[in-house]
Amino acid sequence: MQCTEFRNYAAQWMEGERAAEARLHMEACSGCRGLVTDLEAISATAGDWGAELPEPPARIWTALRAQLEQEGVIREPAAVESGPENGWFAGLFSFVPRPALAGAYLALLLIAGGVVAFNSAPQMDFAALPAFESPGAGVVPAQLNRAERRVVRAIGRSNPAVAASYREGLAIVDNFIALCEKTVREEPGNELARDYLYGAYQQKAELLANMLDRGVIAE
Amino acid sequence: MNNHAVVRNCSLARWTAAAVLSSVALCAPAVAQTKVEKRFPVDVRPVIQVRNDNGKVTVRSWQKSEVQVIATLASAKVEMDAQKMGNRIDITSHRLEDNVTAAEQRVDYEITVPEETELQVRIDSGMILVERVFGDLVFDTVAADVELQEVAGYIVVKTISGSVLCVRCAGGRLEIFSVSGNVRLIQPVNSAVLVNTTTSNILFEGDFLRTGSYRLKNYSGLIEVVLNDSDSLDISANAVQGKIESDPGLKLTPRTHGGRPSAPARGAARSFVGMLNDGAARVDLSTFNGTIRIRRRE
Repeated sequence: MQCTEFRNYAAQWMEGERAAEARLHMEACSGCRGLVTDLEAISATAGDWGAELPEPPARIWTALRAQLEQEGVIREPAAVESGPENGWFAGLFSFVPRPALAGAYLALLLIAGGVVAFNSAPQMDFAALPAFESPGAGVVPAQLNRAERRVVRAIGRSNPAVAASYREGLAIVDNFIALCEKTVREEPGNELARDYLYGAYQQKAELLANMLDRGVIAE
Repeated sequence: MNNHAVVRNCSLARWTAAAVLSSVALCAPAVAQTKVEKRFPVDVRPVIQVRNDNGKVTVRSWQKSEVQVIATLASAKVEMDAQKMGNRIDITSHRLEDNVTAAEQRVDYEITVPEETELQVRIDSGMILVERVFGDLVFDTVAADVELQEVAGYIVVKTISGSVLCVRCAGGRLEIFSVSGNVRLIQPVNSAVLVNTTTSNILFEGDFLRTGSYRLKNYSGLIEVVLNDSDSLDISANAVQGKIESDPGLKLTPRTHGGRPSAPARGAARSFVGMLNDGAARVDLSTFNGTIRIRRRE
């Protein structure tokens, strides 16, 4: 099995399938091991997100699904909503309570974006990943930046201390995303930097989810 | 001094006094603060949920099976609602108008609860102060600082820019997530400590439990831990681009894996790995471009 085939097989792998060919490839290929490690880490983190948050309005789910479908990230809408048998995206979130997903819905974007980015990366060439060319080039940064633009428009309406805190927080996280992207681009094999990059994406998603939950995001 | 001068001086004094009084009157709040008090009898281990946009929330414990809530409302544009449902009490501040300033929507709470109480507090700005409450505690703030004194339980703090101070916090897990608020842990007694921040400084000063697991991580800023010679821990500090400063007096033994020295994390430009005594507690420190400082207690 080659890297491309393994990346196509990643969904089944995340669901627990362990074909002999895939297992052999995993043993030999550090890049694909890294992919699986990252997906597992994101999946584990997504499970913790938003546990204390109230359920987001139904329109969030509708809008999210429409946006993902429009961008071709998901093709079968049912796969997102129903049980684990319908795909590993759903499986990933089967342990996340249906409520409280203001954060997890952004996690979905991250995972979807991550898979798209990995699938578009020949031989795990991080330097060639479109997501790392600029903060706005990949699916994940694009989604996050779009959400951020809506947020920034609405921030001014809140308590000045809170608005300042959100603005500063977004600027800090954006700065670190750019820094981590640069490092990963320059040192594609740097696992620690990659961990930090995904952590920074997660932080931004959490920050936006926090603002969404507090009603800061503009309609 | 002639009579004219005396009259002029008296007149000046009167004007000055009038000006001062006017200033004081202008500075005073347009609407006087209102104090509201409510009491609720509760069973063992009640759950208290507080939601407040702006203000100070102080929670202390007592020996009674009763919850007392004293709310100080800054204006008539905000109200406090406290309701008991089963053994749970929901305390919420509501704005009564759309255009309300942060000062007008301020509500300060003084809440007294039984020692074993589960507490969930969510505020945007202001402060949370909790003393001697021994239940699971969850705090969620944007800009509000969090100060915990002698609390115990599963403790989770999430904040954007609020600082976190934990003094003698105990219990199973302590988890703190912050973007830019500094975190100080003084004499924690938790078996698992996780602090994950972006630009904050993290200070850990206390004993490491033998069975403990400690993970302190930031992107930038200072991570500082203070070790005792008697601590038993297995420490791994890694910096992608930052610095690691360790006390030259620290006598660590190399950690081995299968008879060979353990390798540092892949990608770490700088690492500090080793064991103190028999390496019982697990300590992971990680920064992207900040500084990790490992000090030895004098």
